[in-house]
Amino acid sequence: MFGKKNNNQRIDPVPPGGLCSLTEVPEGEVLKIVEIRGSQGLHRRLLALGFHPGDLVTLENEALMNGPVLVKNLTMGSRVALGRGIAQKIMVEVAAGDE
Amino acid sequence: MNDGVPVIVFIGQPNCGKSTLFNSIAGYKAQTSNFPGTTVTHVHSEVLWKGEIYSIVDLPGTYSLSPHEPQEKVVLTHIFKEKPDLIVNVIDASLLSRSLELTLELLELEYPMIVVLNMMDLARKKGIVINVEEVERKLGVPVVKTVATRGFGTDNLMATIEKALKLKIRPTGPHYSREVEKRIAEVMDILPEDFPVVANKRFTAIKAIEGEMLAVDKFISEHNLAFKRELDRRRQEISALRDAPAYEVISAERHHLALKIFEDCCRVTRPKISAIDKLDNLIMDPVLGYFFLLLIFAGMFYLIFKVGSPLESWLLQPWETIKSTIENQFGHSLLAELLIGLVQGIGGGIAIVFPYFIPLLFLMGFLEDAGYLARASFLLDAFMHRLGLHGKSVPMFILGFGCNVPAIMATRILESRRDRIVTALLIPFVPCAARTTIILALIAFLLGPWWALGFYFFNFFVIAILALILKRWFKYDSPGLILEIPSLKVPSLKSIWQKIYFNLKEFVSFAWPILIAGSVLLSFLSYLRFDRVINAVLSPLVTGLLGLPQSLGVTLIFGFLRKELSLLMMFQALGVGYGQLMAVITKTQLLTFVTFVTFFIPCLSTLSILWKELGKKVAIMSVALNLSAAVVVSWLIRLVSSLF
Ligand SMILES: Nc1nc2c(ncn2[C@@H]2O[C@H](COP(=O)(O)OP(=O)(O)OP(=O)(O)O)[C@@H](O)[C@H]2O)c(=O)[nH]1
Ligand SMILES: [Mg+2]
Repeated sequence: MFGKKNNNQRIDPVPPGGLCSLTEVPEGEVLKIVEIRGSQGLHRRLLALGFHPGDLVTLENEALMNGPVLVKNLTMGSRVALGRGIAQKIMVEVAAGDE
Repeated sequence: MNDGVPVIVFIGQPNCGKSTLFNSIAGYKAQTSNFPGTTVTHVHSEVLWKGEIYSIVDLPGTYSLSPHEPQEKVVLTHIFKEKPDLIVNVIDASLLSRSLELTLELLELEYPMIVVLNMMDLARKKGIVINVEEVERKLGVPVVKTVATRGFGTDNLMATIEKALKLKIRPTGPHYSREVEKRIAEVMDILPEDFPVVANKRFTAIKAIEGEMLAVDKFISEHNLAFKRELDRRRQEISALRDAPAYEVISAERHHLALKIFEDCCRVTRPKISAIDKLDNLIMDPVLGYFFLLLIFAGMFYLIFKVGSPLESWLLQPWETIKSTIENQFGHSLLAELLIGLVQGIGGGIAIVFPYFIPLLFLMGFLEDAGYLARASFLLDAFMHRLGLHGKSVPMFILGFGCNVPAIMATRILESRRDRIVTALLIPFVPCAARTTIILALIAFLLGPWWALGFYFFNFFVIAILALILKRWFKYDSPGLILEIPSLKVPSLKSIWQKIYFNLKEFVSFAWPILIAGSVLLSFLSYLRFDRVINAVLSPLVTGLLGLPQSLGVTLIFGFLRKELSLLMMFQALGVGYGQLMAVITKTQLLTFVTFVTFFIPCLSTLSILWKELGKKVAIMSVALNLSAAVVVSWLIRLVSSLF
């Protein structure tokens, strides 16, 4: 839709095997959660929402002005809006072999 | 069990349709909307079915049994203190795998339980075909399919409840991998004699392991250090299994079990991208989304006015006629004054409030059920952060347009008390239905719709400024947003109608009598000429500061009861009908008056809920904030318009 205008460094595809946070990935790519960092409270909250290491996720949308990101959990089918600070703590890698 | 009446609790993840299901069984009692976290407290109802009484409780949604938010704790209290006879676990079937994680946790309680697969219509739309018998077999509890919005499956649910209460079958919890099970069994064995067992030993052991660093842990280390050391060792062993904290390992076990059940019981056909998904992409678009946001709110306002104002002028006529008839018949006797007060109260409710109130409720209900509230939160989160809040407060502000009272209740879903207080202090500035009526009936009707729209934006501007002021006052450390975005749904007219009906009933049984009584009382006061005393006392403020006719003073007192009262009283106080208002006051005076009335104090109901929810200090703070804002802003309006 209407040409995504991401920062040019951000649009780089994630290097194979490389680890990066959910704020540094292009929209629409299928990614696998490797690790959830951050405080224990945040960790537990995301687990309760059904975000676990190993799940496939994709970044659907980013709000303006450093706003939250919209993440779809492809494994669970749910969608969650996450503030940027929180999305930064979710580390992902490119899902190998999946479409 | 209390007095032999079986207690049944509805438990499920947020937004799975518990309240809708509850309402379709118990009659409309619980608020519903397509936003996770609508229900913030328990709603309870006695239901008669086939000659038996059941006590059914609707609870707030919770993602897990280790609660994070205040309203989620309500669920635990109900499970452990009130010991339900039956748990009805409601599931959003279109999110089956995720929802099963809570189901597995609930099974560990080993309480009699039923699983309800709600939103079967949405699951089908998403291309998910569920083999219900297989789910039943896997979970070991009865499973019922429902579509709560259409009342489909509720009879079957009640029949299943009846049966389950008779059989009292206790399910067994899920089995985890061998290594984890071994540690759970060990912890069960070493549980000290005096350890408070909740539900059963296995559940207690699992929760003790999961409770690392939580309140449980502190309790354990204070009471039994030896046990704590043993427990920590098991945690470390579990943790080593997957190189993650023990609570994560157990949570991941449930996660994978849930996925496994989902894969074994469901077939997923590729869903078509529907028009609704496309619409969803548009309204969430990082650029166009804001355009739609503006469009939706301006359109909403315009529609309410377009529907309301012809209705208003049409409905006003008969009451004006009745009024002049009374004046002709009885002159200025006490009887005439009282009758006119009565007529103004009744007529005001019908002719001034209903034409705007009902369309507003309809449109709000539509937005709520479509799922727009969560989307607005997403879009406005960054903006709200600048104001020292976060996106999760957005729905409360939007709810505030209907009525400030439920909006303040809804602040319970905010994690930090600081955010709750700031949001609750700002909500009374949101023009609720009563004030929208005043704005539309006075400003739009008399000065034109653009003035009213301008007034609205000015109102938002005032809220933003106040938010910035409060941000300096209350140190800002808002946590980031975590909000599930529910699927965009086609609202069901039945559910919208129920909401309108519910609110109208409130209005008719509570607010309208106050309007009528207030109106009669004012007539009486003015007959005794007592209103002059009040007016004289308030004169420095009303005339001195705001430049309004002295006779408006008394209307403010009534405005504290209900904001609409000020409007109705205004005509009575000035002694003119609707048409002649602009002959006795100027445009500036009208604007100043409306501004002052909308801001000057939270109405009685809002103030009481503030007090109840957040305490006396916050309530007093709110009054002070409103009063000072009202004085400053109205005075500024007077000043600015005197320049032109
Ligand atoms: N299509 C469809 N919509 C439903 C169904 N059941 C409920 N809804 C809608 O889903 C939304 C959420 O329903 P609620 O009853 O408020 O959900 P809840 O579980 O009480 O939510 P919380 O109180 O936030 O935990 C509402 O907009 C309902 O109209 C269903 O079976 N089918
Ligand atoms: Mg509810």
